[in-house]
Amino acid sequence: MNSAANSSARRATKTKQAVLWTLLTVYGLLTLYPLFWLFLSSFKSTQDFFNRPFGLPEAWKFENFSNAWESSNIGQAFGNSLITTLGALAITLFISLLAAFILARFRFRFKGAILAFFVVGMLVPIHSTLVPLFIMMKEISMLNTYWALIFPYTAFALPTAIFVLTAYLATIPKDLEEAAFMDGSGLWGIFFRIMIPISLPALSTVVILSFLHSWNDFSFALVLITSTGLKTLPLAIANFADGYQTDYGLTLAAMTIAVIPTIVMYMIFQEQVMKGMTAGAVKG
Amino acid sequence: MKALSSRKFILMGLLPATLIYALFVFVPVIWSSYYGFFDWSGIGEAHYIGFDNYVEIFRDPIFWTALNNNIIFVLASVFGQIPIALIVAILVQKDGRLTRFLRTAVFMPMVLSTVVIGMIWQYIYHPQIGILNFLLQALGLESWQRVWLSEDYGIFSLIPPLIWSFVGLYLIIFIAALQNIPGEIHDAANLDGATGARKLWSVTLPMIKGTIIVAVVLCISGSLKSFDLVYIMTRGGPAHATELLATYMYNSTFSSYRYGFGSAISTTIVLISLVLIGISQWIMSLKSKSKT
Amino acid sequence: MRRWTKTAAGLLLSSMVVVSACGGNGGNNEGGTAGDKVKLTVWHNWTGQDGKAIAMRGLLEQFEADHPNIELETEGLPTDGLKTRLRTVAAANEMPDLFVMWPDVMTKEFVGGDLIQPINDYLDSKPEWRDNFIENALDGYTVDDNIYSVPMNLAPTSFIYYNQAIFDEHNVSVPQTWDELLAAVETFKEGGVIPIALGNKANWFVQSTIFSTIGDRITGSDWFLKAASQDGASFTDPQFVEALEKLQELGEAGAFQQGFNSIDENQMVQLYFQGKAAMFISGGWAMANVVSNAPEDILSQTHVALLPAIEGGAGDPASTAGVVGTGMGISSKLEGARKDAAMELLYALAGPEGQQATLDSATLVSYNIPLDESKASPLFVELYNLMQDTKISPVYDSKLSSAAVEVTNNSLQELLNGGDPQTIAQRIQDAQAAAVKRQ
Repeated sequence: MNSAANSSARRATKTKQAVLWTLLTVYGLLTLYPLFWLFLSSFKSTQDFFNRPFGLPEAWKFENFSNAWESSNIGQAFGNSLITTLGALAITLFISLLAAFILARFRFRFKGAILAFFVVGMLVPIHSTLVPLFIMMKEISMLNTYWALIFPYTAFALPTAIFVLTAYLATIPKDLEEAAFMDGSGLWGIFFRIMIPISLPALSTVVILSFLHSWNDFSFALVLITSTGLKTLPLAIANFADGYQTDYGLTLAAMTIAVIPTIVMYMIFQEQVMKGMTAGAVKG
Repeated sequence: MKALSSRKFILMGLLPATLIYALFVFVPVIWSSYYGFFDWSGIGEAHYIGFDNYVEIFRDPIFWTALNNNIIFVLASVFGQIPIALIVAILVQKDGRLTRFLRTAVFMPMVLSTVVIGMIWQYIYHPQIGILNFLLQALGLESWQRVWLSEDYGIFSLIPPLIWSFVGLYLIIFIAALQNIPGEIHDAANLDGATGARKLWSVTLPMIKGTIIVAVVLCISGSLKSFDLVYIMTRGGPAHATELLATYMYNSTFSSYRYGFGSAISTTIVLISLVLIGISQWIMSLKSKSKT
Repeated sequence: MRRWTKTAAGLLLSSMVVVSACGGNGGNNEGGTAGDKVKLTVWHNWTGQDGKAIAMRGLLEQFEADHPNIELETEGLPTDGLKTRLRTVAAANEMPDLFVMWPDVMTKEFVGGDLIQPINDYLDSKPEWRDNFIENALDGYTVDDNIYSVPMNLAPTSFIYYNQAIFDEHNVSVPQTWDELLAAVETFKEGGVIPIALGNKANWFVQSTIFSTIGDRITGSDWFLKAASQDGASFTDPQFVEALEKLQELGEAGAFQQGFNSIDENQMVQLYFQGKAAMFISGGWAMANVVSNAPEDILSQTHVALLPAIEGGAGDPASTAGVVGTGMGISSKLEGARKDAAMELLYALAGPEGQQATLDSATLVSYNIPLDESKASPLFVELYNLMQDTKISPVYDSKLSSAAVEVTNNSLQELLNGGDPQTIAQRIQDAQAAAVKRQ
């Protein structure tokens, strides 16, 4: 009697589990679909794209990729995007973790004010800063250099990065640092030897977010870079799409090329997120 | 000696971030809010007009439509994205082939450019050849067919793409937090016989409460700034029906060429965001107090 | 420890100093003369793969080849991007040396900010060029008797592109009057064909391609110009309300497919290409797309016509709304050799050879030159010949203030969704009156 009820309950949970995982898988497929769609569409001709937006290509146009790469200097733009994005990423990671370390671990006056000061940065609609930024960049002669993008990318990534990192560090016990301090490690030593490894999961999150943010930026790149040689990918891709003569196959092929680094980035750092603190703790 | 060196450390450590942020975010923001007091087309002379721009904003029905739409977006994001992300995160945090696939799949809309996402959803909603209307017809639900991105339904039709494309962001934040819960706590909870929902409520959620607050703040600030998706899918139309504060600001600045007015709107957006985040923090602090 | 602190701070500060010290030549206008070479920056929107963009890029290359002493630093941007960037650099008084510039509102604002310079002297030195533009072609570039540029093409905005096969199948002839248009709409609707495909997501579309012409047919151009300058006419006048009602009537008759406010122009033309629509209304610019992308069976059946006459209206029925096309603005900072070079480039792009190249790429020009019919597509020849007897009336967005244009565009979307014409007229009037007062 009892065992029968038990087994039927177990069967019920099993069915529930199956339904749950099926639903999740369907959701996963739905979220993955756009990537698949982009990939398929990038082999189509414009007419094919319009006639059957969700179908397989009528004829696979592999040349879309080579044409996209050659026209509009996608190769050069790709390099420019990598330089500005990775430059901004490196600076962001270092200085935001440093600031978060201090904000999460030290007690001092104006701490609340400084945190609030950074939070405002998460609320700013970027379009309103375009004109002031342009004038500033002109005054300090930074227009048309990589720095004209690296600094704004860094500055706009900082608030979220500091916010996420500070909140993360606040949840981590201080045992390790205190032990290290007792052993005579200095503050910089603690920062490099303990804080960096310990924050890896949150840092990975910041990497993914900052990378996406700079890699896909259109507005800053449109306004702050006016020389063709420094164009970034989103601008180069926008050049394919001009009003009536948009070649959709070509545009989408360029977009497919552009999306690859973000996927690679995600795959690498997602693993770091998953390894979690345990890995960091072992090292420390 | 120790106090001295730590004060120095605090200063040196905060300096680079503060400097770069102040110079490239804060100064332009203050600068732009200063323009908010002028009648300026962006070219030529600017006339100081005090608070006239702000008076006009509050009298403008379009501003209220935009604010209303933005609040719908905030609510949909906070109550849509965060619960979904949390549930998925809890389910996929264990390692396995299927969970790894799901973790990647759910994040993928984040890596795609908004242009692509906008294109796809436009074809889902297309009034003549859209998939959604086609499916409804196939299921015999013709009466449910709609012009999805119209005056009447537009703002609600934008919610699924909005939620769907940002769940991945909160997913990785939650996964990072969940990985951070020490194994001993799970073991202890298991020993106590806490399983399933009860363990979730009494152990897991309190452990990541801080992260949930972070996610809510990110969510509110993110959805108040939403621009790309709506600009690409509807441009704030038809007839302002899907206008958001950010598209309203952009159109005023770069289509109507009223730079001062646009700057005043953007200052208003920052102020409204601060208020909303303040309120959300207050609500959450109330909740945690009542619990303890 | 100390060392760490110092290195980190030092690195950051020095990077910023180095950056500002060697930050390029700062801006676009200080390039100046490098050695003996004259350097000019040129911003344009000829980035696409269409005939006109290719022709214009070809002219730029040809110019560089012909002038070894002039170096062009050209940059192409999509149209929206170019406009946004021009607004930004204009606010900082940092215009490029030459740039694609739109007539009327943009030209006026740039002149008001003292950002561009007149070309009168150069124009007067080539009278055969100056005098060969079509009537009123230079008006949009003229401010206080100074001419700031010349148009490189012509953009009439309202033609009916129709499918003869579908018309024949339903026994409909090209509508000559408003009633015939309404009757045609009725017939197509009953036959299960979309009468007129429309894509008004970018909300200027109905205003520019349909309403500007309907408005002119009813009110006449004189009334409109008076209302635009708020001088003896108002948008609340009965004739304007009637024009709004006419457009609404067309919408209510079911002329456009469902959801026209949520699809864009490209998708609109696709409905026509797929044979689902009997007509679409668009400007001369749609020609290039039709000629190069329409399926063969559709292209061979496609013809162009003007919008029908409206009985009792004050406007000329043999007209279409339109504007002269873009010109090149020349930065007010240029002088000496660089100014001379800029004028020469303007002539290369907008002079007789430039106009011929544009016309050969199936784009109408505001310049009197014959079309070589043997080289052109038959449909373009048809359009070219139609234009010979057609007058151009003002497009709303070229004469109204930017703020009023935004209001009009949005209000027309509302109108087609059942908005009240009277209220809308009042709103447009308020916006334009406020803008005129602000000037």
